[in-house]
Amino acid sequence: MGQLNMYWTFTKKAFLRSSVYRFEVWSRTGSNLIFLVMWGSIWTALYAGKEEAAGVSFTAMLTYIVVSKFLDGVNEAGTPLWDIQEKVRTGDISLELMRPFDVPLRYLFADFGSVAFYMLTALLPIYFLLFLFMDLTLPTDGFTWIYFILSAFLGFLIRYCVEMTFGLLTFFLVETGGIEDIFYFAMSLLSGSVIPLWFFPGWLETIALYLPFQSIFFLPISIFIGEINGSQIFTSLGIQFFWLVVCYLILRLVWNRASHKVVVQGG
Amino acid sequence: MSIIEVNGLHKEFLIAKRETGVMGAIKSLFKREFTKKEAVKDISFSIEKGEMVGYIGPNGAGKSTTIKMLTGILVPSAGEVTVNGIIPYENRQANAKNIGVVFGQRTQLWWDLPTIESFELLKAIYRVPDKRYKENMAIFQEILGLDEFINTPVRQLSLGQRMRADIAASLLHDPPILFLDEPTIGLDVVAKEKMRTFIQEINREKQVTVILTTHDMEDIEKLCQRMVLIDHGQKVYDGEILAVKERFGKMRTLVVDLEETSKQLYVTGGALVKQEGYRYWIRFNRDEISASDLITQISQTHNIKDLTVEEPVIESIISRIYQEGFTEQHETVHI
Repeated sequence: MGQLNMYWTFTKKAFLRSSVYRFEVWSRTGSNLIFLVMWGSIWTALYAGKEEAAGVSFTAMLTYIVVSKFLDGVNEAGTPLWDIQEKVRTGDISLELMRPFDVPLRYLFADFGSVAFYMLTALLPIYFLLFLFMDLTLPTDGFTWIYFILSAFLGFLIRYCVEMTFGLLTFFLVETGGIEDIFYFAMSLLSGSVIPLWFFPGWLETIALYLPFQSIFFLPISIFIGEINGSQIFTSLGIQFFWLVVCYLILRLVWNRASHKVVVQGG
Repeated sequence: MSIIEVNGLHKEFLIAKRETGVMGAIKSLFKREFTKKEAVKDISFSIEKGEMVGYIGPNGAGKSTTIKMLTGILVPSAGEVTVNGIIPYENRQANAKNIGVVFGQRTQLWWDLPTIESFELLKAIYRVPDKRYKENMAIFQEILGLDEFINTPVRQLSLGQRMRADIAASLLHDPPILFLDEPTIGLDVVAKEKMRTFIQEINREKQVTVILTTHDMEDIEKLCQRMVLIDHGQKVYDGEILAVKERFGKMRTLVVDLEETSKQLYVTGGALVKQEGYRYWIRFNRDEISASDLITQISQTHNIKDLTVEEPVIESIISRIYQEGFTEQHETVHI
């Protein structure tokens, strides 16, 4: 109980801390919307007035992009990869080893705070208006909403584990450019954040289906627009849960190796 | 049992050897060679509850490596450490509750939040009961004057304010042991003095055991009765500061300014260590010749314009120990 209370304090302080950076909130929102407009226009052009492509209606596709950018905003409000790398390089993370808390959990709870602030002040109001004024499809029954929220939350946790793991690899590498490239490639393409997996060539779709990244964007959005429905929803949630466990175990492994390296090699 | 026990402590690091040239670079992709660096070699000491010990040595002597092993974020290669009955690296989180740490070079406060928020966060991290928290904050406000800037974001604090906040933060959970790594670095004279007074007070009132690493010898002289001196990973001296002064403090330096136009000065009983124009530095052993004898001797042949006798400060004593080692010093002087 005391433990939870301590991590919860991180959430509260991170929420407060986010309010200090009002300009950052606005600039992040600005760029989020610009990318939304860009991808919206690209898909409008690609559909070229057709009602349907690959069995998916234009409205559904547009909704896909809008929801994707919303999730993008949520995920970006967490501690970014470069920040984790920086904390490793400066040794700040190593110093946290001498505090009585678990470091990966402490960052996760702090991220909850930053995300909550960004969602309440920017994302939710703006996307609410978008859904109000644009011709988009909303889930009609309450259960779909619940499954979507659950799925998006699992996706957020998976993204956290993956990003933290990639960040912690800085402990073992002299230069980290390659790691960043792989991470951003996976996050933008393999996750289906801008191109849904059903438009992928067969071989690439197969690869993407066997990787954890589709859980972050593709699965929750597909549930939202109804491309995944019925019992498929449970299969998807099962896949996400499986990947969450796997990614969490990998994060733990890497963290243990990293902290072991710090305590033996001095970082 | 002493509050801190260090026995035969040893730490070595493996450092990747980089070979030069293209072939070397290619080779290192496949096979890395390592060289061993011994940062700490066979250091032992024990510290009693309530002591204030200066842990000093030149850069790279192994000071922070030792401190890191005491805090548990570094595992010794060999030897034993116990801090308040706990082996730090085996039980890092339990050890964390017994220690407070201040690094002069970096802050443990949240950079972008008002100072008070960091304190509240630390209160939650260390589960400080409300009552305790209020009492401690009252003490810090009284002695350190925290209330002047408690609502200012940490990044807007002056260095002196930040250090005051940092040291208060490290003591919020009433740790019996406090590690201070250069707590006065970069501070002005007044701020340094305030910091020292506070450390003294905390040590006296709460019986906090303090280990202090610093390059500022005044810190050591004003705060510690005992110092542990290390160099190249080894302990060079462990004992009272007064004893060092006694042992090395016999040497004095007489500085004389002679009338211009005087001829070259020669003295017996003292060594001419430096000369700049008509100013001479003469080192002598207090036990062998008195300053007045020396002055009388010089004044017989030369006209003295001005003179001073310099007593050795601990700083110069220490730099001599680094250079010459801690051996009984006996200098006979002859010119």
